[in-house]
Amino acid sequence: MTNNQPTNINKKLEKILFSVEKPGRYVGGEHNQVRKDWNSVKTHIALVFPDIYDLGQPNLGLAILYDIVNQQPDMLAERAYSPWVDMEAQLRENKIPLFSLESKTPLNKFDIIGFTLPYEQIYTNVLNILDLSGVPLLASERTAEHPLIIAGGQACYNPEPMADFIDAFAIGEGEELILEISRAYQEWKRYPSPRLELFQALARIPGVYVPSFYEVSYAEDGTIHSVFPWMQGVAMPVKKRILARLPAPTTRFLVPNVETVHDRISVEIMRGCTRGCRFCHAGMVNRPVRERSPEEILTAVQAGLDATGYEQVGLLSLSSSDHTRILDIIREVYARFKDSRVQVNLPSLRIASFSVDLMDELKELRPGGGFTLAPEAATERMRAIINKPLDEAVILETARTIFEHGWLSLKLYFMIGLPQETMEDVQAILDLARRIKSIGKSIKGNRVRVHLGIATFIPKPHTPFQWYSIEDAQSLQSKIDLLKEGTRRADIKMTYNPPDSTLLESWLSRGDRRLGAVILQAWKNGARLDAWTERFNVTAWLDAFAACGIDPDFYTRRQRGLDEILPWDHISTGVSKRFLLTDLRLSQAGKTREDCRNTCFNCGILDAYGSLKPSEQEIYWGCP
Amino acid sequence: MNNTPPVRIRVQFSKDGDLRFTGHLDLQRLFERALRRSGLPLRYSQGFNPKARLSIASALPLGFSSEAEFLDFWLDTEIDLQEVQQRLSAALPRDITIRHIEAVPNQAPSLQSSLLASEYHVSFLPEIDTQEVAAKLSALLARESIPFSRRAKTVDLKDLLLAANWQRTAEGLELSLRMKSTPEANGRPDELLSLLGLTAGSYQVRRTALIFNADEMTKHG
Ligand code: SF4
Repeated sequence: MTNNQPTNINKKLEKILFSVEKPGRYVGGEHNQVRKDWNSVKTHIALVFPDIYDLGQPNLGLAILYDIVNQQPDMLAERAYSPWVDMEAQLRENKIPLFSLESKTPLNKFDIIGFTLPYEQIYTNVLNILDLSGVPLLASERTAEHPLIIAGGQACYNPEPMADFIDAFAIGEGEELILEISRAYQEWKRYPSPRLELFQALARIPGVYVPSFYEVSYAEDGTIHSVFPWMQGVAMPVKKRILARLPAPTTRFLVPNVETVHDRISVEIMRGCTRGCRFCHAGMVNRPVRERSPEEILTAVQAGLDATGYEQVGLLSLSSSDHTRILDIIREVYARFKDSRVQVNLPSLRIASFSVDLMDELKELRPGGGFTLAPEAATERMRAIINKPLDEAVILETARTIFEHGWLSLKLYFMIGLPQETMEDVQAILDLARRIKSIGKSIKGNRVRVHLGIATFIPKPHTPFQWYSIEDAQSLQSKIDLLKEGTRRADIKMTYNPPDSTLLESWLSRGDRRLGAVILQAWKNGARLDAWTERFNVTAWLDAFAACGIDPDFYTRRQRGLDEILPWDHISTGVSKRFLLTDLRLSQAGKTREDCRNTCFNCGILDAYGSLKPSEQEIYWGCP
Repeated sequence: MNNTPPVRIRVQFSKDGDLRFTGHLDLQRLFERALRRSGLPLRYSQGFNPKARLSIASALPLGFSSEAEFLDFWLDTEIDLQEVQQRLSAALPRDITIRHIEAVPNQAPSLQSSLLASEYHVSFLPEIDTQEVAAKLSALLARESIPFSRRAKTVDLKDLLLAANWQRTAEGLELSLRMKSTPEANGRPDELLSLLGLTAGSYQVRRTALIFNADEMTKHG
């Protein structure tokens, strides 16, 4: 028995929990938490969201995997999150390893540790968690004694920056992969055998990427010369996994005992998006569109509410108004829940009066507060470039309808730093916001609030814009200044990211394997919880780049060659590079492509996954 | 809209284990959700954002356990109390136990307004020298006043403390405290203990009783 058995941790915790902020983050015990007897199951999986509990607990992806694993009689899943700074200090000082919330077991006692990586700014937290758990950070330094470290999630479509730390990545949708990986692990565990054999077994699972089996070499100018799978039989490229039919939604959500960012149940009504916005990572990597039926959605909402007692439900998708039966869904939700005082969130609505009608159908079930529209760009030219075609008249009309239907506050989302963007395009954001505000005032008077949310464009992997560089900080700043000044005068509230704060996401999302050393160094320099504006320490990162002799601008301030091997080219989302390139050229010519559910542009998805497509009657797929 | 008079239910519950780290507002939310899960016909407030009506007598400081917490909630229709208890218990986390349940008249004063004082039981970690703590406490109580500064203002703990007694148990010396618990004057054992040089985590506090005012003439717990 080591001295860090669960009961021992409980005893030590008893002391330190009194000296940290929000101790309820670290104790678990939520309603619907699953507790299994440790010795009654063969395989123990720690599912980790590498940021604090308040942010991670509501994560839908992890809730789904928790449910799936715990349904297996021979497995258990427990959860862990990043400790906040005060708790980290206490853990280190008292030599307490990071533990799971359910049984307070140190993470290094688990067979598998699975990280979800929905975005890049949490990479240093992964290192910190491994370190706090007593697991060597580098995959190459781990042995059969250590847990298998896996990761999945939206950021993993470019796994390379984390390749040094993760044994195997699950690329694409994880519902089946998590079990296939766990079964392969169980099989390997039956007889004492080298870790290499486990990795070989994992690499044979479609959608699993074992980075150590690929050798990357670099050209003189620093670009990638080749990516070579040296191990026999491994996939090249590694093709993401999808589910042809979305499984029944998870409904046994955990109900936290302390407040988190989203206190509600979430039901995904549709996966994927056919709109083809060129900047949109989610829209490109999550194809094809697959819908859930209204019946299935309704049943899940009911079961989820019954199991949790929550009073809010989010109906999630990338573009809610595009679900072919959204009206049926909304009407039925209203009919069923109008007496039970449930609030319904319907995010990601298209800019059209239809969306306002949809919200109207929900009547008193709709969340109070504002309506949100995301034109993303304010001139028709710019919207053609990003492929979000929309007449200005429609935007104004939709805004008018929103105010006429009683909303007083409207949030408008735009991006700056888009390809070929000029100061006129930025000025147009202001003009449009002002016009919308005056429409609102003419209908509802002075109570009307218009809120401008400004995001900085980052060219994301696997999108038609992946070759672009990021605009320099100075010119971004002058655009922000223009908007700040203009919104101040027009009494419009504006939120934005300072140029510095988007650097990390840019480097890490567009990086290659060499960034592993930088991430490690940045963590040593004290970087962690980087997604928290007040914690993000740009110097720790710049020093790390310098110490590793790597120029950060190489990843962000450089237009990449069209024939260059991109760090993520050996990961396939099903959408072909040829399609992305054609789309880039169309963008440069100011040409749009319509919603591909009307005209298939042969993006590669049907070639890759068409054979899985169920019949039209069974489930709606966006592809013909 | 329901115009019939609501049915007011009062429960006494204990709060233990990990739930000691769930604060007052979170506990309120926890009860709202548990009541919804129970399927009991809750009475909702009117208005745009209707809320189930419920009220907890007194905020228990984070980290304290208790066997004497009180909650009032309102139902739309009368239901057998035993059934209410069963359904609510089934929906509550294991660290909350219902100890008593009763129906109270709608016109009875609110829990908060009739609460006068609380009793607490303090036990200490083995490494704490309780003799020394006891000596320090006597010295402290011998003073005219015991000023303690809370954020903006200073309170007199002497005024907030109603009684302090030591008992000898198998575990060693343990301390019982009775302190005021009114909206204007609320005593906190941890404040008193901090003046004795004890840090949070070196002792455990359990609330053992709430004392309500003369109208009800009861000490519950
Ligand atoms: S295969 Fe066609 S319809 Fe399907 S996502 Fe690609 S372009 Fe759209």
